[in-house]
Amino acid sequence: MRNETKPHAQKNNLRNQFLLDWSLRFYVILIFVFVFAPIVFSVIFSFNSARFPTIPLESFTLKWYETIWADPDVWEAFRNSIIVSVSTALIATTLGFCTAYTDYRYRFRFKSAYLALVLLPPTIPLIIMALAMLAWFSKIGASGQLWSVIIAHSVLTAPFAMAIIRLRLNQMNKDLESAAWNLGASEWRAMREVVFPFCKPAILSALFLTAAVSFDEFAIAWFVSGLNKTVPVLILEIVQGNIDPQVNAIGTIVFLVSMTLVMIAQVFFFLRQNRTSN
Amino acid sequence: MNTPLVVFENVAKHFGDFVAVKELNLAINAGEFIAIMGPSGCGKTTTLRMLAGLDQPSRGSIYIGEQLMNDVRPHQRDTPLVWQSLALFPFLNARENVEFGLKMRNQDAQIRRSKAMEWLERLGVAEFAERNVDTLSGGQRQRVALARSLVTEPQLLLLDEPLSALDAHLVIRMQSVLTQLQRELGITFVYVTHSQSEAFAMADRVVVMSNGEIAQAGVPRDIYREPANRFVAEFVGRNNIISGTANTVDEKSIQVKAPMGTFDVPTKTNTPDTDKKFSAGDMVTFVIAADLVQVTRTKPKTENSVECSLISEEFVGSMVTLFLETADGTEFKVQLQERELSTLDHTTEGAFYLSWQSDSAHVLHG
Amino acid sequence: MTSRDPLTHQVANKPTRKLFDSFALSWRLPIIVWQTLFFLGPLIFMVAMSFFLVKNYRMQEAFEFVNWSKMFSRNYFWDSYFLTFTLATLSTAIASLLAFPASFALAFKVSPAVRRWALFLLIIPFFTSYLVRIFSWYVILAESGALNALLDTFGLGPYTMLNTKFGTLVGYMTLTLPLVVVLQTFALSNIDRNLVQAAHNLGCSPFRSIYAVIMPLAKTGLIVAALFCFILSFGDFVSPYYLGGSKPPTLPILIIDTTKSGQQWPRAAVVAVVMMVTLITIAFAALALAYRTRASR
Repeated sequence: MRNETKPHAQKNNLRNQFLLDWSLRFYVILIFVFVFAPIVFSVIFSFNSARFPTIPLESFTLKWYETIWADPDVWEAFRNSIIVSVSTALIATTLGFCTAYTDYRYRFRFKSAYLALVLLPPTIPLIIMALAMLAWFSKIGASGQLWSVIIAHSVLTAPFAMAIIRLRLNQMNKDLESAAWNLGASEWRAMREVVFPFCKPAILSALFLTAAVSFDEFAIAWFVSGLNKTVPVLILEIVQGNIDPQVNAIGTIVFLVSMTLVMIAQVFFFLRQNRTSN
Repeated sequence: MNTPLVVFENVAKHFGDFVAVKELNLAINAGEFIAIMGPSGCGKTTTLRMLAGLDQPSRGSIYIGEQLMNDVRPHQRDTPLVWQSLALFPFLNARENVEFGLKMRNQDAQIRRSKAMEWLERLGVAEFAERNVDTLSGGQRQRVALARSLVTEPQLLLLDEPLSALDAHLVIRMQSVLTQLQRELGITFVYVTHSQSEAFAMADRVVVMSNGEIAQAGVPRDIYREPANRFVAEFVGRNNIISGTANTVDEKSIQVKAPMGTFDVPTKTNTPDTDKKFSAGDMVTFVIAADLVQVTRTKPKTENSVECSLISEEFVGSMVTLFLETADGTEFKVQLQERELSTLDHTTEGAFYLSWQSDSAHVLHG
Repeated sequence: MTSRDPLTHQVANKPTRKLFDSFALSWRLPIIVWQTLFFLGPLIFMVAMSFFLVKNYRMQEAFEFVNWSKMFSRNYFWDSYFLTFTLATLSTAIASLLAFPASFALAFKVSPAVRRWALFLLIIPFFTSYLVRIFSWYVILAESGALNALLDTFGLGPYTMLNTKFGTLVGYMTLTLPLVVVLQTFALSNIDRNLVQAAHNLGCSPFRSIYAVIMPLAKTGLIVAALFCFILSFGDFVSPYYLGGSKPPTLPILIIDTTKSGQQWPRAAVVAVVMMVTLITIAFAALALAYRTRASR
């Protein structure tokens, strides 16, 4: 077939292929523009003096940052958010590690039910989880607390931690743990001396990623936090009122925080590939 | 006779429906270098893992130095294992890997360090002590793994195909390292392998396993020259296996009638307990080792001879293996030195004659 | 058995020593307890709650179908249901179509290094504030917003984009597009290149090979990506609320309104249960389709 095509047709084909490839690349860039436009926009307008953000830009200003700096509610919200995301990260990563190790090492009856129980929460719409958590927490008398948010976020993010650590365990030579026992380590000691150090990059990655998810989650936090607003809940309430460029300033800080967390998580996640045991 | 260090008594191991070890009775003496050999799936690695406590016997008892080991957990034993995968800890450097066993025994950091360095020195890899184990070569990693297992000065060292990942020239070198170490330390080595060259080169005694059972145990020469059964004869290779019916049987020999000729085979074997009495009309199988067969281009005068045609030849170093075939399609292997081949006019067409001394043949019992 | 054998190895690691293995249970139990208390518990309670009664603004535990009959007999509930379903379906179709050329390019037309970087970047928005991004769109798409200002310089517009289905869909795309591209790219780059080459050698044109070879091979991944898109869109309240104007409300907005204003938690629970049932049905249907092997093979 290919041999029968005439030289100029072939040339045409090549040119078409070339055009197609480049238009596809251009299209990818368009998609990226769409994805990142709101983020970039928010950052730019957080420094723009106009009350209503539009183009052309007005002058550069830090007044929105000054406003939120002076706002005790914002400080309070950030304090709450940090408490929630740090605690969530610790709990979710601990739970995720336990589950990943269990899945790695053991076979038992109802294991698929066990895994479903762990992995399902992220597939359920947040608004449903929010309602269910709200009702449940008020039933057991634990609603409106900061730690209600922590508990709910841990349920939500433990599967992410589990997945990251499980992927790391996949790379662990099956003999490694046995080798530790063989050299005199009890199961607990082998966990501390071998499994845990081996998983360390993944554990760090999981900590940062779960913190990032928790830091941005607003639906459940909105329902169960009561008066203890986290940053996203604060944003939600400001946005409900009117257009306020303060949101751009808070948003920029939030982006900065969560992007940093996600990037650190990814660096740890990819780091492990340099140190894989064959 | 000294008391054995390790005893397997009627040991069996099942994994669900799968029988890894059927019925194992074996005593291993202190200071012995024993090789357990067999094809994959024969139960040799399971046997080793049971000795290390990583698998628990389904039935029977395992003793180490008189103590019943069945319920002793792996970490409470002193049975270091050199793994096929080496299983070095990738997040520790070479020295820290070697120190691991001492650390688990809560030894002082100072002592740990000096002992680890001593062993790395002894195995010739001290210069890599602070290197990440992933950056070491296969041979160096091998030595680190050995040092890690020996640093606790065990009475028993288990080795699970430790050389299978190495290049051929490294294997030869590591073989001499291992035999020398074993002799110097005077401890027991239990070496699992599928390679007969490794087993024969190093072990005092070889145990051949097949389908979860011992097919034969003995010194390498006996396994090689006097295989107990067809499985061992075939697994060891370089054996010509001939089956026929017994014409006459007397005290010393059996006359066997096979499709390609009639042969005299001695009845005596070194294993009197398996010595089966044959009578006329019985089916008899015997082997004749490839290196005990003479090849000539003229018909020899001896009784045990076969006429063949040459199929192919294979050179390995200074050794040549000739593959021949009789008129009825039976294959024969003959092994000879390369210089012997030059005296044989093997390039011209025509018949080849194989012959052997009667007492080179060996009757199989099973 | 060599130590490499997967069969013996996995079973061999199973402790057979004790009936009660405290080490094993220490790792297995925490998540069971946690998820039972704080995941299964809330969900089961929510289902139960849909049968409770509300009297004098107080919830009473009961087993009555009154919430169900009330909700099912209201037109606004069904309007809301069909709107949500239609929007989520539309979002799934649009996201899958918009993502495919990009995923195709990332899977086949760029170097692995570029692909890694692109995926690295695309994962970031998934974990960053959706709320702030929607607020950004709100001011971009407003009547006097940035996009209309830009279009005005070309003499176009102004267009009404807020409080329309278009606005809602822009929001849904913000939420789902990065994820759909990532999942599709994974699915496409797992395809054996040799099969695509073989199709070309057999005279299959590039466009035809997409349809005849690549899509069937990546079917499972493409459907899973679409399923995630549907679940996310179906459950999202931010886009329809801020960009779509919430008239009529979607089901998630209905849940919020019912919960936040009227203390009618049981009715909100009815909506939530209906949503769950819908999603479970869709998920099973999608997975059955994704893993169906053709009979004639």
